[in-house]
Order: sequence, then structure tokens, then C-alpha cells
Amino acid sequence: MSVGGFADRVLHVDLTDGRIDKHPLDLDLAQRFIGGLGLTIKLAYDTILPGTDPLSPENPIVLGAGPLVGTNLPSTSRLYAVTKLPTSGTIGWCGSGGVNFGYLFKNAGYDHLIIKGRADRPVYLKIIDDEVEICDAAHLWGKGAEETSEALWMELGHPTGVMTMGQAGENLVPFSIAFIDRIATLGRGGLGAIMGAKNLKAIVVKGTRGIKVADRKRYKGLSEDFLQTIRSYPYLKEWQDLGLVKSFPMIPKETYYGMKKRRIACVSCPIGCKDVIEIPDGDFKGLVKCTSSVLNLYTPVLYGFKDHRESIRCMATIDQYGLDAFEFFGLMSFAKALADHGIIPPEQLDEEIATDSLASMEGWARKITYREGLGDILARGFKGILEEFGKEAETYAPPLVKGMQPYVGPGAALSWDLFGTMELGQVLDPRGPHVGASGSPTYFDRRPLEVFPRHLTRMGVPEEAFERILPGLNSPDQEEELRVGRLLKYSHAWFSILGSLGICARGAINRFYNASLCAQFYEAVTGIEMDVDQLRRRADRLWTLLRMANIREGLDQKAEALPHKWFSKPGFKRYTTEEPLGLQEGEEMIEDYYDEWGWERKTGIPSPQLLEKLGLKEN
Amino acid sequence: MGKYEIQTSKAKCTGCLRCQLACSELYTKVFNPSQARIRVVTSGADCSIRFEEDCNDCGICVDHCFFDALTKTKRESDK
Ligand code: SF4
Ligand code: SF4
Ligand code: SF4
Repeated sequence: MSVGGFADRVLHVDLTDGRIDKHPLDLDLAQRFIGGLGLTIKLAYDTILPGTDPLSPENPIVLGAGPLVGTNLPSTSRLYAVTKLPTSGTIGWCGSGGVNFGYLFKNAGYDHLIIKGRADRPVYLKIIDDEVEICDAAHLWGKGAEETSEALWMELGHPTGVMTMGQAGENLVPFSIAFIDRIATLGRGGLGAIMGAKNLKAIVVKGTRGIKVADRKRYKGLSEDFLQTIRSYPYLKEWQDLGLVKSFPMIPKETYYGMKKRRIACVSCPIGCKDVIEIPDGDFKGLVKCTSSVLNLYTPVLYGFKDHRESIRCMATIDQYGLDAFEFFGLMSFAKALADHGIIPPEQLDEEIATDSLASMEGWARKITYREGLGDILARGFKGILEEFGKEAETYAPPLVKGMQPYVGPGAALSWDLFGTMELGQVLDPRGPHVGASGSPTYFDRRPLEVFPRHLTRMGVPEEAFERILPGLNSPDQEEELRVGRLLKYSHAWFSILGSLGICARGAINRFYNASLCAQFYEAVTGIEMDVDQLRRRADRLWTLLRMANIREGLDQKAEALPHKWFSKPGFKRYTTEEPLGLQEGEEMIEDYYDEWGWERKTGIPSPQLLEKLGLKEN
Repeated sequence: MGKYEIQTSKAKCTGCLRCQLACSELYTKVFNPSQARIRVVTSGADCSIRFEEDCNDCGICVDHCFFDALTKTKRESDK
């Protein structure tokens, strides 16, 4: 049986000297790191020179799509990038549903792409199967992310995968992001700026080679059963129809239906969580907006916008520029507080800051993007503002993690207050305050602990760890407990497995997968032997290597300290009892997390023995 | 003429290409949407669904569409 799933090549592009090389995929390495996210981390580890400035030509962008990408297993289009991010200064993963880009990249015949250097003029990278070309992008430079995608589709037709950034990326705003096929975001933390620093406006890809499966018979049996499970899921239609709108009363269903034009699914996805909407009335009637979720379009509402149509218009502007909307609004609230207290002197304020006003927010988005006046200072993010306005400003800053605003927590726009894995994960994800890698049953509030073991098994947690995660669950004389820090290790491990195979990590779809099925799909698709134990070991290897990559950059446990502002009232609450969570308890969770990985409990440094065991010694 | 008559509903299509994946695998043994006999393009609010000349109306793509954008009815002659 031949190896399937993998496209078998890694594409190397050096934008400085224009060199393009195609190397065969090192299958041994692929096996050791599963593929996808895992191998992307490994290639990034080997390519990033320690101490590299994120916006220097030397910082590579490493892209990868796992071995299941290109098959018809549900929601296997996932695309990853690993690079050193300018906002956090850490080496982090960036992930996207992949839309069309993921399967087209694999079909062009590549599993990974490593981009280094800096072009001497604006360029875009064109990949059409074997033909790879660095093309002039003078006509695209200065355009918004959506405009650029459209221009490239005009040029190349459909289907073409397009990864691009907006003017904020061109102007090196550290909280600029990239877009995949105009609808999905990639790289909160500054992937847009990294592309900008390389003079790389876009990557386009077309592919027609096909992806083969090693054991078609086994694949067919497994996938048919699996598809049947999804088909018979009683809430499938509701998920397809409403998605997350279901659980966010902020968006009335009638309003959503009134503007919904289409749902978009990444290739192979039976759920489809992305939205195309059209404003049906008012000043912006007819505005069509593509978004990775309609919820994103309500970000300005969280910050005070009264009219959702203005909110959508504002998001259309922010997305064109390619700014991370969440960071932008957090920053503007902070700047407003500084202005209100005279810390930003009135003469520097060339325009009022009103986070509930479309005109004001569009104006500031423009000033930040083009770095005009005060906008140039705000464009440097929280770190830049604190440097500029000093100690006095700190009082008004939101709780920050690795220089960025957490999604969730006291004082954040989303004020979920129970402290589960996603909340803790905001300080322990190497990329900064993100929640995407930290899913677990604590996603839902106050689940009874009896239901946890079933989910743990699904996520591939070994049974010997149950007692550590849920002490007292099986002993009547001991009080039941949930160790969030220990559980978070397995959230990250499960995320690593899904990402390395190429499966979307969103709850709506990953709920159908389990570790054993992942191992079986991997075997059937690639023909490479795999079981749950081996998957676990590889997940340990790849996430520990990501840890090592960051330790090499000087990351220490201080950078992962819990923000003290989380613990001033009203703060987070314990997941199980809803009692206030203390700082010390939070700190113990971090130690538990390190310990569960086998990293040194106080420092989070993997021990030499562990590195030996995981075969990472040579790194 | 194949067994089924296939109806399309562009409004429901999400561009997931499950149909193209299934068709290409069935006839070429490889997942290769560029070889499929059905071609779907969604771009923003727009969508087009068309069948290539060599489509034999076997209806397999319909079975793989989770969004009811494709439906099939048995042809009279086949009933
Ligand atoms: S759930 Fe959403 S992000 Fe994930 S594969 Fe489906 S459409 Fe893409
Ligand atoms: S009906 Fe059969 S041949 Fe025609 S597009 Fe669908 S799967 Fe392909
Ligand atoms: S499977 Fe259905 S929803 Fe998906 S692209 Fe084909 S027709 Fe559209």
C-alpha cells in the first residue's frame, strides 16, 4: 500500500533572491509530527533563528495543511501558519478553516510552504500546480483585503485560493491579520504585518493534482458510518441554519434571517459556519459582507454601537484594512479612557474618540492603518501606548496577556466569568490570549462532573489521568473537584491532534470526532500505522517542541503570569462552585498545567528526560 | 440518460464541494474536484452550479450534499 493523504512536497520560497525550490516531504519527519500543525511547528522550529525580529526578512512564514486535507472527511480543510508574531513576540500558531485555499494548496501538490526573505517591491506569490511564480503586485498594493481578493479572482477566475492582507498589514500595524478567501481570518497577533514586512501582498493557489487515499475500502467503511452519525444528529439543521447565533441572544433571529444571504462552508464541511449577509435597509442598504461568523460583525455593538447596520458597515471597513477588530476596539476603549483623563493631551486628539460612533471608529481605523498623528502611536498596540504614556496609563489598561487583550474575562468584551480551560488557556497558549486551542467540556457552564469522563475519552485523555483531572469523582468520601490546569493540557493535546490531521477544531464539528477515530482515519488515508497512544505521544512531542521554540526566544513563566486585574472585583469564578477564584488558585492551575505535560512545575521548562523520551533531544 | 433527475437550489449551496469531492473520487479513485462532473462556484452572495457533459446522473453527488442544495428524483422510465 502506498502512502496517501500527503501531497509529498514542501515548497520553499525566498523572496529576497527569488529562489523557489520544491523539496520532497520527509516522510519520517511527517510521521513523527503527524503532519499539518505538528509538522508546521517542526519546520518553523528548524527555520526560525532564535531572537529574530518578527518583522525582519529572516522571520519565516511556515504554512501547512494536514494529510486529511483534500479528502471528503468532514471539515478537513484546515490551514495553519506558524511564525514569530509581532504583538506577542512569541512563536505561535495561526489557524483558519481553510475555505478553498486548504484543498487547493494540497491539490497543487504541497503539504507545506516556507516563505523567507523580503521582496524589493510589492509582490504576490502565484502557485498553479508545479508553476510557482513571484509576481508584481504594484496594482494590488494599497488595496483592502477584500478588494485584493476580488481583483485576484478577476485575474485568475475560480476556484483560486487567496490569502491576503489589507493596508494595515502593508503599514506594519502589529495587530493586522490575513484573510483566507476573503471570508476567514488568519493570524491574530500580526500575520498581516509579517506579510507586509515581506512586501508580500497575497498568496494565490490553484491545484488539480488530486489527493489519494491509501486504503480506499477501509476509508469508505469508516467515512460512511461517520457521515451517517452526523446526518442523524438531531441539531444538525439548527447548526447549519443558525450556528453560533443560536447561543447569542444579542442577535435576534429575525434580524439574522432578514439579512442572511448565504452560509459558506469550508471545503468538505457539512456544517458551514461562515456567513454572507446583506444589509436590507437603511443608509447602508445593499452592503454585502462576507464573514467568518455574523457574530464578528457585532463586535462594535459590544463596544456601544446602537445600530447593527452601522456595526456591520464599521466591520466592513476594519476588515478591508485588515485590522484585528477585537484588538482595535479594545485599544480604542483604552485610548478613550486616556483621553477622558487627560493622559492623552487634548492637542494630540485630532478627532474625538467615541467607541459607539461609526464616524469616529472609521476615522480612527483609518488613522491607525495609515499611521497618521496619534494613530501612529495607537498603531503600536497596547505596548506602544503604555511606552508612550507611561505608568499613569497603566491604571486604565485592560488586563493584558503577552501584550494583547484577552477575549474573555472581567473587563473584557465577553464577560464569561466561570474559569474553565478556555479562560485559563488565554495565558498558556504560546501565541497570546486566544481561546481556539483550549476547548473542553468547560465550554458549557456548570456541566456536572459525571459527564466529563466521556468527553475526556473522546479527546484522547489516557484513563490514568482521569483521577488527576477529576479527583474525588469515584470516592464518595472526597469532595469532587475539577483541575482546570490539568484538563487544559489535554485540550491543547486534542487541538494538536485535530490540527495535525487537518480537522477543524470548532466545537460544532470536532464534537463528532474522537481520538480513536482520528487514528483510524489517519491510517486509512495515509497507510501509516497509528493508534491513540501514538497520536498522544506525537501531540506531546509537537506541543512540547512549540514550548521549546518559545523558551529559546526567552519566554518564561513570568510572561504567562495571570493578569492581576482579573482578580480584583468582580473577578473570575470557579467553574464548579461559582465561588470567587483567587490568584493563588489560578497560579496553582498553571503549575498543574506544566506538570501534566511533564514540564518543570515552577518554570514550565521541559526536563531533559522528557525531551529524551519524546525524541526531542537533538533539537 | 441516468437514473435520476437532479434539481439544484443555489440559495442553499454553501460551496462545500462535497459533491465535487464525491463525484471525482467515484470516477477517478482520487479526490480531485477539478475532475468532477459537477462544478460549483460560490463567491459572496453569488453561486453557480453546473453539470459537465459527461455527468451520467448517477446521483451520488446528491447523497453527499448536506445542505439540500442538490436533490434527486427517479426518472419515470426507471420507476
Ligand atoms: S465549522 Fe466553520 S471553520 Fe470549521 S470547517 Fe466548517 S465552515 Fe470551516
Ligand atoms: S450525478 Fe453522478 S456523474 Fe453527475 S455530477 Fe453527480 S456524481 Fe458526478
Ligand atoms: S455539496 Fe451541496 S452545498 Fe456543497 S457545494 Fe455541492 S451543491 Fe453546494
